[in-house]
Amino acid sequence: MAKFLLYITLTISLLPFFAVSFSPESPIDRRVLVLLDDLAVKSSHSLFFDSLKSRGFELEFKLADDPNIGLQRYGQYLYDALVLFCPSVERFGGSINVASIADFVDSGHDLIIAADTNASDLIREISTESGVDFDENAAAMVIDHTGYAVSNTDGDHTLIASDDLIKSDVILGSKNIEAPVLFQGIGHSVNPANTLVLQVLAASPSAYSANPQSKLSNPPSLTGSAISLVSVIQARNNARIVVAGSLSMFSNRFFRSGVQKAGSSTKYQKSGNQEFLTELSKWVFHERGHLKAVNVRHHKVGESDEPAMYRISDDLDYAVEIYEWSGTSWEPYVANDVQLQFYMMSPYVLKTLSTDKKGLYSTSFKVPDVYGVFQFKVEYQRLGYTSLSLSKQIPVRPFRHNEYERFLPAAYPYYGASFSMMAGFFIFTVVHLYSK
Amino acid sequence: MARSTSKDAQALFHSLRSAYVATPSSLKIIDLYVGFAVFTAIIQVVYMAFVGSFPFNSFLSGVLSCVGTAVLAVCLRIQVNKENKEFKDLPPERAFADFVLCNLVLHLVIMNFLG
Repeated sequence: MAKFLLYITLTISLLPFFAVSFSPESPIDRRVLVLLDDLAVKSSHSLFFDSLKSRGFELEFKLADDPNIGLQRYGQYLYDALVLFCPSVERFGGSINVASIADFVDSGHDLIIAADTNASDLIREISTESGVDFDENAAAMVIDHTGYAVSNTDGDHTLIASDDLIKSDVILGSKNIEAPVLFQGIGHSVNPANTLVLQVLAASPSAYSANPQSKLSNPPSLTGSAISLVSVIQARNNARIVVAGSLSMFSNRFFRSGVQKAGSSTKYQKSGNQEFLTELSKWVFHERGHLKAVNVRHHKVGESDEPAMYRISDDLDYAVEIYEWSGTSWEPYVANDVQLQFYMMSPYVLKTLSTDKKGLYSTSFKVPDVYGVFQFKVEYQRLGYTSLSLSKQIPVRPFRHNEYERFLPAAYPYYGASFSMMAGFFIFTVVHLYSK
Repeated sequence: MARSTSKDAQALFHSLRSAYVATPSSLKIIDLYVGFAVFTAIIQVVYMAFVGSFPFNSFLSGVLSCVGTAVLAVCLRIQVNKENKEFKDLPPERAFADFVLCNLVLHLVIMNFLG
């Protein structure tokens, strides 16, 4: 019996060490489920997977129709991120379906979708849920007769060398990707009204989406740089999604392949794929561009305690600390465009916070001459960064009756008039009574 | 219709003045008092037009104390005038007591509102 008790105590005391999982202290994903059509992809795309493993991810490879797969057990998610390298799957095995993947993303987890020509309806549906639409023609590929990659055999120009990358250091890293990125697959369009979706790799203006085998009879539905080859989505809960129209762009063959864009004389020994997709995977798995705001403080100028309410025309100080996750630690975030709103239905005060370059953002201002229930609001949305949305409610009261100024010099004539009326009343009374 | 000349105006002014000489001196004192209150009110309005309406409560109480004083004095004058038959049943002592009481209330309010 004593031995049994000992085991129980040991197990319970060791429990915290077993629970290595996503925590707000380090926002990056740890456990990744990779769903494949064919286990051969595991070796044919090993360079991509190895770069993930070397950065500390635990990859779990499963066939997409494996009957034992599931994203959660007992209401807990088993994975922090999902990689769908299964463009032709018609039905997932186990408990995974479109709704469960949407729930997975809704609860803040990340997703990489790689489609391909002949992508299944299931993959199309998941992409539509995420906000991108693949070309409806199942056999369509992106064709570019001017921007194709030069190869030994003069093919159908479906192997595209694209260098139209999004200009964002936070999504693609500060290092410039010089070699064009090879792409062979299906194109998609993003809804321009959807502000959460971004084209990361766009097709050239001369590209179009059609079936390369058949003759082009109708005008293609997708043309030019409206065709997105790779898109990213950052949801409002900061979950991140990458949608790529090509599975082969992740492959070792494309990673190692040299590239020469048609019409250009420079031949690169190595395509930009490895660099591009590694940087993109760093972004999607929150190794970069993840902000946190902590330690919101506000107080009257000259005091240090946070009051429960302010009075109109008080002077106050506001400070917040913003840090960026660098992949290993929280580093101070430095920017000059973080703004604070003092907000009651509309911003009464809008101030740009000044930073001390160590993560502390602060400002001071005068409470407006309006009383009511205000909010301190910081709404910070920048391309590629997780959005910050802080709000803190604070009431503002009018002056108390004894807080008004008294004996103003400007009011002396009025005081004088009032007292002279009283004196006049007294004198008049006397005169009126005794003048008979 | 006869044409009006400056002579008519002079005649009118003269008759008004001669009629006013006949007014009892107690009523003349009340008139003087009303004139003083109205003059003080006008001075304050002119001052406010220059300086601005900032201590608005002080301005209001200053002007309203003058206006209120003038109104109460006019009421007293109506009630103690012997030629006014409407108040012939009201003794002048009662009228004066009302006047004093109203003035006390008025100045109490003014003091509170003066700031």
